[in-house]
Amino acid sequence: MIDATPTRAMRGGGDLAFYLWTALGLAIFPFLFRLPIFNGYNGLATQILIVGIAAIGFNLLLGYAGQLSYGHAAFFGLGAYAAGLSVLRFFPGAHSFGLAVIFGVFIATVAAFIIGSLVVRLYGIYFALLTVAFAQMVFFVVFQWRDLTKGDDGLQSIATPAINLGFAKFDLTQTLPSLALGPFGDLSEVRLWYIFAAIVMFGVLAFVRTLVRSQFGEVLDAIRENEERSIFVGFDPRRYKLAAFVISGALCGLAGALRALYDGSAAIATLTVDQSGAFVIYTVVGGVGTIFGPLVGTGVIMWLENIVSAKTGAWRLIEGVIFVLVIVFLPNGLIGTILKRKFNLFATLRGKK
Amino acid sequence: MSETILETKGLGKRFGHFAANADIDFVVRAGELRAVIGPNGAGKTTFFNLLSGITLPSDGTITYKGRDITSAGGPARVRLGIAKAFQTANIYPDQTVAQNVRLAALARVQGSFALQVFRRSGRLGKVDEIAERALDRVELAALIHTRAGDLSHGDKKRLDIAIALATEPDILLLDEPVAGMSIDESRRTELLIKKLAAEMTVLIIEHDMEMIMGISDSITVLHQGKVLASGTPTAIRASKVVQDAYLGGHSEAEIGG
Amino acid sequence: MTVQSLIQALLNGFILGLIYVAIAIGLTIIFGMLRLVNFAHGAFYAIGAYVGLVVAQKAGFGAGLIAGPIVVAIVAILLDRFLLRFFYDKEPTAQILLTFGLAVIAEETLRLIFGGTTQQYPLPDWLQGSVALAGLQYPAYRLYMAIAIVAIVICVWLFISRTNYGLIVRAGVRDRTMVQLLGGNVRAASTMIFAIGAGLAGLVGVAASPIYSIDPQTGFKFLIPSFVVVVIGGLGSFWGAVAGGLIVGELSALTTLIYPGAADVIIYVAMAAVLLVRPQGLFGESEVIKG
Repeated sequence: MIDATPTRAMRGGGDLAFYLWTALGLAIFPFLFRLPIFNGYNGLATQILIVGIAAIGFNLLLGYAGQLSYGHAAFFGLGAYAAGLSVLRFFPGAHSFGLAVIFGVFIATVAAFIIGSLVVRLYGIYFALLTVAFAQMVFFVVFQWRDLTKGDDGLQSIATPAINLGFAKFDLTQTLPSLALGPFGDLSEVRLWYIFAAIVMFGVLAFVRTLVRSQFGEVLDAIRENEERSIFVGFDPRRYKLAAFVISGALCGLAGALRALYDGSAAIATLTVDQSGAFVIYTVVGGVGTIFGPLVGTGVIMWLENIVSAKTGAWRLIEGVIFVLVIVFLPNGLIGTILKRKFNLFATLRGKK
Repeated sequence: MSETILETKGLGKRFGHFAANADIDFVVRAGELRAVIGPNGAGKTTFFNLLSGITLPSDGTITYKGRDITSAGGPARVRLGIAKAFQTANIYPDQTVAQNVRLAALARVQGSFALQVFRRSGRLGKVDEIAERALDRVELAALIHTRAGDLSHGDKKRLDIAIALATEPDILLLDEPVAGMSIDESRRTELLIKKLAAEMTVLIIEHDMEMIMGISDSITVLHQGKVLASGTPTAIRASKVVQDAYLGGHSEAEIGG
Repeated sequence: MTVQSLIQALLNGFILGLIYVAIAIGLTIIFGMLRLVNFAHGAFYAIGAYVGLVVAQKAGFGAGLIAGPIVVAIVAILLDRFLLRFFYDKEPTAQILLTFGLAVIAEETLRLIFGGTTQQYPLPDWLQGSVALAGLQYPAYRLYMAIAIVAIVICVWLFISRTNYGLIVRAGVRDRTMVQLLGGNVRAASTMIFAIGAGLAGLVGVAASPIYSIDPQTGFKFLIPSFVVVVIGGLGSFWGAVAGGLIVGELSALTTLIYPGAADVIIYVAMAAVLLVRPQGLFGESEVIKG
């Protein structure tokens, strides 16, 4: 299958190395991105990180629990709307940023729990179709509840409130002080938003890595590899799948909340099948069942989209072609293929093959 | 005499109109080594599936240690101490032998679900203990770093047994444990089963008559989904009813030994 | 809501239902025989519609009706030979992803070629007009189409149940390996089934476009409802597709009459209900559920 998940044996690498490289990567990313070959800009880098959180969440379900959902936009969108409503209506005031994020994650998590409880009893195509059905129902409710959500127009004018830590306030729209960096642009192109998103992304990556190597992750692996055997050594697959579903929904909700706060608006498009499909594409291209895969996939696709859409209207076609090519020729995705090569190389060097 | 550990009353399973099992009254005492035999299609594997929880019965009850487990699910039965090794070795092919058994031990220690998203299972010392013991008993300790999918057929079946053992069962169900094995492997497995039978109750489905006659405390014969006869190996060997049933499939020599 | 509008809705639902039936039959026998979950099935409908349109604009309605399904069948055969057959028997996840990708490619290609606007299918005079039916004037074309679809469904049914190839199909749905062992030419039958299923969707794509007009979204618009139909009827079941199609069609039409905003979501609610209560659908087999 598109089963890229490296076995436990492949997961080498120390914790410290991971944290250092990840922090370094996140720190230099916006500057690399500015190089003429990439022609990116800081705002796009921030968006990639935010949406990447959702893809990572989605991957938890597909790559580790082994279930394909085509309805995860529901949690992304609910997170966005909840955060927006939190700022505009429910919890405005001094701590509205933090409360918006918390509220967004909360709503998405509750939804994921309700939907998850009903969905995890199914498999394969039935599972996927039921997730679509529920996502469409969420779309319908949000769309029709015009009083609350403004229907088609979505929520607008959500000001990014500042992060209020009591002793300090951070206005995320502020930039860093100016410092020319040659081909890497100027330091002042980096907004605090990026730094905030990078911190959150670091936390998410660290969390997912820990989870995957944990006792919980170990059992999830086992269930994905042989569910029957797992049942008959005494594990309860349904509860594990539900837990994975809820965590993945929560992460999508977090991404949605940040998205709404970043954009200053919550759009109905965040709840569509197209959006769910986008998470699928990002994750598959990047590498299902790898930690960095979904982030890389999000980056590559969103970056390409930025470049190609400016030149031609055929972006969606190109995206579809890339997706199919990856599935057929690189089923492990970009990162998955690299990891497998690395693993095979090590195994050969160690004389195991 | 030891008490009854497992009992079924009127147990039956229908698939559509076909009755795979019907009216089965079955009693096993703790510590017994009970063989379940019968011609092909007699319903032996279905019976084991009912006992282990792979399928739920259409009629009848199953009592384990005095407790009604008729509608209990698979994980629940494993926790209660009913473990099964499958006819086709059911293992995690991409994991090492050690990891295969550790997973079963982990289930034993942590329960059916634990939201331990931060801690690694290596911290649970008892898990390694249980796993090592299980591996030692089936004598697979030398192969612990081998990928389970790469094992020989016989080794896979022994791994399956090790996995079952790691759940610390009181009753072990073995479905054709020596099927497809060489003579050597069969004899080794037979010795293993005898050893295990000394510590726990063992139910075994087999076609290898010689082995069955040699090691069993008692034998239940199934035929067309029902219990045909039950008794000591000597009694079963001499039973005309059993021989008639088998003449449909095997020759008398196979039963007589 | 008048009696008239109710009758009209019921008729519309019946017509829409028949369209769903035609699409769903292809989807369900493709799944039954090839074990392929085909998310690209809606694309066959759309390609048929556009090809039919192009040909009809040059050579008339009849030519379009013939060209559409044939081109679609050819596309299907090529897909089967060079790509899809490596994915039969793979996990449904991989199949869903691949066929979903293909559907996106198909939709976008059509959009680029034909533009994003809606097109109208030219209908010759002799097919226009209306018929007095149950107290109202109902478009004649819809009735002709209905009769044609019913005839086609019966033909496909006869093919599956009476011919040798059909026998292979039915046996193949049950147990492919056994059919191969018995010497049946499963490969050829598989390709043929795929072509027939696709062609059927393409044919209905042409036939229905005078009613529903054509745009690049058409493929996706019919895709999910087709899966709803197949789920309700039971994946792999011929008569399930028929029953499911009519049910979903009527449900859609009646909801459009009573609460138009919910017309889309009601079928999802129906599908969810079926999946939660009886996932194998009305006529499916209960062992099918795992994966």
